[in-house]
Amino acid sequence: MRSGFIIFCFVICANSVLAQTNKTVGLFFIPLFGKSDLKLEQYYKLGVDSVMIESLRFYISGIELKEKDKVAWIEPNSFHLIDLANEKTLDLSLLIPSGIHFTQVKFNLGIDSSTNVSGALGGDLDPTKGMYWAWQSGYINFKLEGKSNICKTRGNEFQLHLGGYQAPFNNLRTVSLNIASAEKAVIALDVEQLLRTVDLSQQHHIMSPCAEANVLSERLSKIFSIQPNEK
Amino acid sequence: MAFKSLEDVVFEVPKNWPKPKYDFTKNPLSGSKIELGRVLFYDPILSKNNMISCASCHSQFTAFTHVDHSLSHGIDDRIGTRNSPALMNLAWHSSYMWDGAVNHLDMQALAPISHPDEMGEKIETVTLKLQRSKQYRSLFFKAFGDSMATGERTLKAMSQFMLTLVSANSKYDSVIRKQAQFTIQEKNGYTLFQKNCASCHAEPLFTNLQFENNGLPVDTTLHDHGRMNITKNKADSLKFKVPTLRNIEFSYPYMHDGRFKRLSDVLKHYTSGIHQSKTLSKALTNKIVLSSNEKVDLTAFLLTLTDRKFLFNPEYSFPKKIISSRPKD
Repeated sequence: MRSGFIIFCFVICANSVLAQTNKTVGLFFIPLFGKSDLKLEQYYKLGVDSVMIESLRFYISGIELKEKDKVAWIEPNSFHLIDLANEKTLDLSLLIPSGIHFTQVKFNLGIDSSTNVSGALGGDLDPTKGMYWAWQSGYINFKLEGKSNICKTRGNEFQLHLGGYQAPFNNLRTVSLNIASAEKAVIALDVEQLLRTVDLSQQHHIMSPCAEANVLSERLSKIFSIQPNEK
Repeated sequence: MAFKSLEDVVFEVPKNWPKPKYDFTKNPLSGSKIELGRVLFYDPILSKNNMISCASCHSQFTAFTHVDHSLSHGIDDRIGTRNSPALMNLAWHSSYMWDGAVNHLDMQALAPISHPDEMGEKIETVTLKLQRSKQYRSLFFKAFGDSMATGERTLKAMSQFMLTLVSANSKYDSVIRKQAQFTIQEKNGYTLFQKNCASCHAEPLFTNLQFENNGLPVDTTLHDHGRMNITKNKADSLKFKVPTLRNIEFSYPYMHDGRFKRLSDVLKHYTSGIHQSKTLSKALTNKIVLSSNEKVDLTAFLLTLTDRKFLFNPEYSFPKKIISSRPKD
């Protein structure tokens, strides 16, 4: 009975200590099309073309906070499916010890190779999330689907599914960004920058690990930037 | 997540077999999970029209393949492009499918479930159908301590049942364990097997688990280049995963496209039908010569790989008591 009371006190104290020493850092993802916020089902000008995005989904994993080049904090079990159709997935909050200082955030765009060969996983990695290739095992790192006036496909549709975890089609990319604020970072990804480099009249379907996916994955890793503006 | 079943099952590795590749620590076997996996395996609820189950193309008495069908059959009488593989000793594999497209046993079922010529269903819809079934809610609760069917749980339960499909009780195994003896003919066949076949069909699994080009000319209606479709590497052209020879007596027709109906056709291919190409297996560059008597002896040995305990094990059969309710839509 007495030892139970002591454990009870300890739990209370430990909880209050934890509550004091943790802080939340927000990572807010804002998909853009050029200078505009990207909205689904809305047409945007792209040179002579006009494009509309129906689905934008991607994995952010392995989030690290760094100070200069030293790792300050690593998010445990860090796998997040970001889906423009589901707004709450755009905001990530990281619970970190308050003593941690950092100047940089680093994350993977996609899913690492060891997770790719780990069998059935749950949460955001559950294969029911529609981000898994059944006929050539592996996660889809990044999915962009929509319509383009220059696509001569059925319904002018294009589908870019980028993934692959095995050489020569290892398409996991790392993004590192300097962050100014200690409380939050607004991370923009400009889809126009990616689509500007794709000739949608020729390249409208990528649905397996391949050389084209390598090229696009490389470009994709460059479309992320820190936004100075307040969210 | 911390739920632990009270009826944990230990996976038994047959004596002198290699260590399984499957990581059981990530999916520890339990009686109720195996049972759930077994029900799912036999339940056509996995297919779009609720007509085709795993067992439709993988029936126990033919070593979990589709006897007499050269190519797999799916919903609406659709026909696939490959012969359904026999299922056994899957815990020792680290890639699945004839071309190794699938990298883990847990993910294997996703391929036939989603293929339009097989079950034509989405795993998202499968889990919704399972969530609507009172019976499955109860089975998931027993297995996972939570009645919610997720993709992860569904696939892990199916893996558990498939992992239990171990064939290690053929006459060959008894001879190796010194509990039986080969006839003179079988013994001669074993010697011929070791000399001519064992480099690819390595004991005790009777497959080296590798991809090889075994000299079959390309079927001009299927144009299937096997492993190359996955790796996009020309060096893998016409390579297919080496199948096990265990229970070969019952797993006909043979080859990735089921082109040979009889074992005699297979032996004829290896002795006089090898099609030369750049990626031909090194083991086949020297002609295999077998007299007609030797072919008979080799066949006698191959028949010692039949495992009746496996083919008729009641723990692998249709779970009669369980499947009764169907979703009403």
